[in-house]
Amino acid sequence: MHNPPKLFLKFFRWYCHPRLVKPIEGDLMELYDERVKELGKKKADWKFIKDVLLLFRKDIIKPAEGTQKLNNYGMLKSMIKMAWRNAIRQKQFTVLNLLGLTIGISTCLMIGLYIHDEMTFDAFHEKGDRIYRVNQPFIWGDWNKMMATTGPHVAVALREDAPAFEQITRILSLGSQTATAANSGNRSNAFKENRIYAAEENFFEVFTFKFKAGDDKSALVDPQSILLTEKTMKRYFGEDSAPAETIGKNIEIKQYDGSWKSFSINGIIEDIPSRSHIQFDMLVSLKSESEMMQAHGWKWIWTAFATYGLVEGGTNVAALEESIQALPPKWAPPTAERIFNQTYEEFTEGNPWKLELQPLGEVYIAGSPTGHAFGPTGNPFFIKIFGAIGLLVLALSAINFMNLSTARATNRSKELGVRKVLGSERRTIIKQFILESVLFVLTSTVLALVVVNLSLGTFNHMAEKQIELLPYFQNPAFYLVTGSFILTLGFIAGSYPALYLSSFKPIESLKGKIQTGFKGRSIRNGLVVFQFTISIALIITTFFVQKQLTYASNVDIGFAKENILQLHNVEELGFETEALKNRLASNSTFTEVGKSFGVPPFVYSSDRYKSAEPEAPVIQLNNLRIDEDYLDVLDLEFLVGRNFESGRENDKYKVILNEEAVKNLGWTIEEAVGKSVALASGGEEEHEVIGVVEDFNFNSVKQEIAPLILIHHHNDNVWDYGAGRSFYSLRLNPEAISTTDDLNQLLISLEEEMKQVDSTVPFEYSFMDQEFEATFRSERKMATILNVFTIMAMIIACLGLFGLAAFSAEQRTKELGIRKVLGASVAELAVTFSKEFTRLVLVAILLACPIAWYFVKEWLQDFAYSTPIEIWVFLAATVAAILIAIATISFQSLRSANRNPVDTLKDE
Amino acid sequence: MRTLVWCNQRGNSRSFYNFRQMKKFQLGEFEEIVMLTVAILYDDAYGVSIKKEIENRLNRSVSVGALQSALKRLEEKDYLESLDKDATQERAGRPKRYYKITALGKEAMEYTKETRNSLWEAIPSVSLDVKFMQLLNA
Repeated sequence: MHNPPKLFLKFFRWYCHPRLVKPIEGDLMELYDERVKELGKKKADWKFIKDVLLLFRKDIIKPAEGTQKLNNYGMLKSMIKMAWRNAIRQKQFTVLNLLGLTIGISTCLMIGLYIHDEMTFDAFHEKGDRIYRVNQPFIWGDWNKMMATTGPHVAVALREDAPAFEQITRILSLGSQTATAANSGNRSNAFKENRIYAAEENFFEVFTFKFKAGDDKSALVDPQSILLTEKTMKRYFGEDSAPAETIGKNIEIKQYDGSWKSFSINGIIEDIPSRSHIQFDMLVSLKSESEMMQAHGWKWIWTAFATYGLVEGGTNVAALEESIQALPPKWAPPTAERIFNQTYEEFTEGNPWKLELQPLGEVYIAGSPTGHAFGPTGNPFFIKIFGAIGLLVLALSAINFMNLSTARATNRSKELGVRKVLGSERRTIIKQFILESVLFVLTSTVLALVVVNLSLGTFNHMAEKQIELLPYFQNPAFYLVTGSFILTLGFIAGSYPALYLSSFKPIESLKGKIQTGFKGRSIRNGLVVFQFTISIALIITTFFVQKQLTYASNVDIGFAKENILQLHNVEELGFETEALKNRLASNSTFTEVGKSFGVPPFVYSSDRYKSAEPEAPVIQLNNLRIDEDYLDVLDLEFLVGRNFESGRENDKYKVILNEEAVKNLGWTIEEAVGKSVALASGGEEEHEVIGVVEDFNFNSVKQEIAPLILIHHHNDNVWDYGAGRSFYSLRLNPEAISTTDDLNQLLISLEEEMKQVDSTVPFEYSFMDQEFEATFRSERKMATILNVFTIMAMIIACLGLFGLAAFSAEQRTKELGIRKVLGASVAELAVTFSKEFTRLVLVAILLACPIAWYFVKEWLQDFAYSTPIEIWVFLAATVAAILIAIATISFQSLRSANRNPVDTLKDE
Repeated sequence: MRTLVWCNQRGNSRSFYNFRQMKKFQLGEFEEIVMLTVAILYDDAYGVSIKKEIENRLNRSVSVGALQSALKRLEEKDYLESLDKDATQERAGRPKRYYKITALGKEAMEYTKETRNSLWEAIPSVSLDVKFMQLLNA
């Protein structure tokens, strides 16, 4: 017996359609056999090969897909059918499951969107991945902290010594300016501009802001050129002004001396995207400030500039950052010597003047430096907290699903028994359950997308965001993430039920022996405890967050901040405003009127001082220029000494300190009066202390009270004399102002009063207590969101408990029936039933309290004034949790207890 | 024991194919030869015997591939049906697939034959008179 070439026979078997392979192979073998006899083996082999190759044609080759796939498909169909039937049969469980998952996924999705929104700031810049901001140490105090601004000369040094940068650009905030659309001398439509910056001509080489009109290459080349955003343009030129027509018109900006400087509009920029860390209304060319730059441009301590570098593609940024560390020791010494008469080392006190390159993508959310003058900064702490909560809530809902699925196992044991008897492997059953859970997650995700889309409006309002869901649907990555999310969550949530349920022995489950194994129940109980631990810990934490916020806004700041009305823009009225002040003082609505060059909680100006003694250390003091009456408006008490007095001409060179400043200067309060302080930066003038006031919070309550020096507003020996913003603070007589109408009336009359002095000065005011309140804005925002999520977590935990109670009620029907027959009362039965779950909640409370305590303690450490951690909060949360749990199961327990034992016991 | 049943390629309903092919019985030249040979062999029509019969009668070589694909097509058109039996030693235990002409197959063969006949009949006798044609051309 001869055999044909094996390789070709195998090849034939491989490609041939399975239906044809046997008869054709038979034919081939028969022919081969004959040919071997007639022609010999060799020729027969060749002919065989030829036949095989000629058989390789369309009609004979098997179709591309195998036939096996069809079988799996059928199985899948059957699984989906079973999932559907089970879902329909046990409606209560299905609804609980879907509800829990939907709430969990919605919360998680919402948080995910929030975090994504926060993490993708500044993504619209075309060269964004190559842009870095230059940060430096906070040279005005704690050198370990970083600040986001540098002196103007850092950019010059980088241009000179760091050729790896393609572009270096810097922007300068011009502070608060009054601007008007020049209209032949009529300056009545003047606005206060706080977001007006000076930028260099290569600003748009680095950053991508779209132009509505004008050209980004030449926009900032000419001095006195100005760019407006579209919104700003409409503010000045009316809603129907067109960008193209506005080009070439003029904007006038008021100078300190009261004159107006004219700028020509050279471009209109699209409104700045909300997710940009640089937010501006107007940009002027830095060349317009050439006088100032000539005088101060060499300084390293004029830290008002944000410096940005655009590196070339493929630059090793770490090495670049390393190399620019050589710049400050090389370039900064003249600043230290000329301004402070110190060597570089003396000025830095040995600290490294580190220049840090921060990638643009991290500028908003990194959390360090803590803030900057050009736009918003995010809080990475919130991101972490929200992220953790999102995952926890998701975990809670996945646990819910596991619990409910395993609890109803008894209802499905027969189905599983039949499946196993019919030949189902364990793996198939595991697959079935995981498929089922994936289907649940899929449905819930679809529902969650709807829910989130509907509730985004409310959420945006709460979180002050502009998140939209629909644009994500155009992003393929979104589908990928959602898809893998569904699969992962479905797999995780389905794995435990799958393993648990597939372990049933078919004979027992078919005989109706319900497997109420100890193991299954203890895991379920453990999961319930976990859920409640998290929920209760969240409740306690939320409680403390609220408590802390209430505490902080009511903390005694050292003076009565209520009823103080502050008028802004006083500096524009000219330096002498005594007449206005007298008119205000004569108004009976005000008990006190005082002028100051800064108002709490925003007294940020500070300088380096020392005691006027030899060898005295230099210390940092916040300074505030005030008139004789300002401290009376605040109603502060003098510990020693006296206030400025208007009669004494010499008082203008005297100063007042707060307690903290006295302490920092190394004096005692008693000896302070009569001593002198001097500016550390060279000025020979000594300022005699005439009084010490009690400490009060002139900044947010989040900060400790800093040392403060109060300077007379007419003191012309201090360098910033006559500069900066000034305010009138008016203490209202609460009896004179009792209704909102009164207040509105008062504001209108104040506006008229100010317009009489100068009609171009914008009328702006604020209330001090509201300003203090506003410093907690982001915390409040967080608290509100936290509240919502806590409620979500609690609802999910309760859904789970409700489901388990329903299941337990079903299981214990007979037991409760017998107890009732033997004489137990309804109340006793309800207690017996509830005990099982109350015990779990109690365990959860024991676990939750220390966890919550730890996190609350950590969080409160960030606050200078923190609410004490009191036991009653824990007790209250405990009681609340137990009440909620009992209320959740009471429906089931009462129903079971009230059932007629005849019904529950009649059939076996 | 497995019952042997004559079946078509798909083993089920023929109606769809019937309907489609009622209008026009499609039978290629080689397919027609295969059909005729299957009819001639009657009880003994399987791969090798059909191949040999064609080779002997028409004096042309037939590759297994060409034959098998024709057979498959004809079976798909429901002109043939098949039955596997007789797994012998020299075939390495593989069965022979015997083919038989179906009623539809018979109709198709008749249709083809009639078409040819009608064409033959339509030829004017003069056009086949070769001598006359040569005269005309000259």
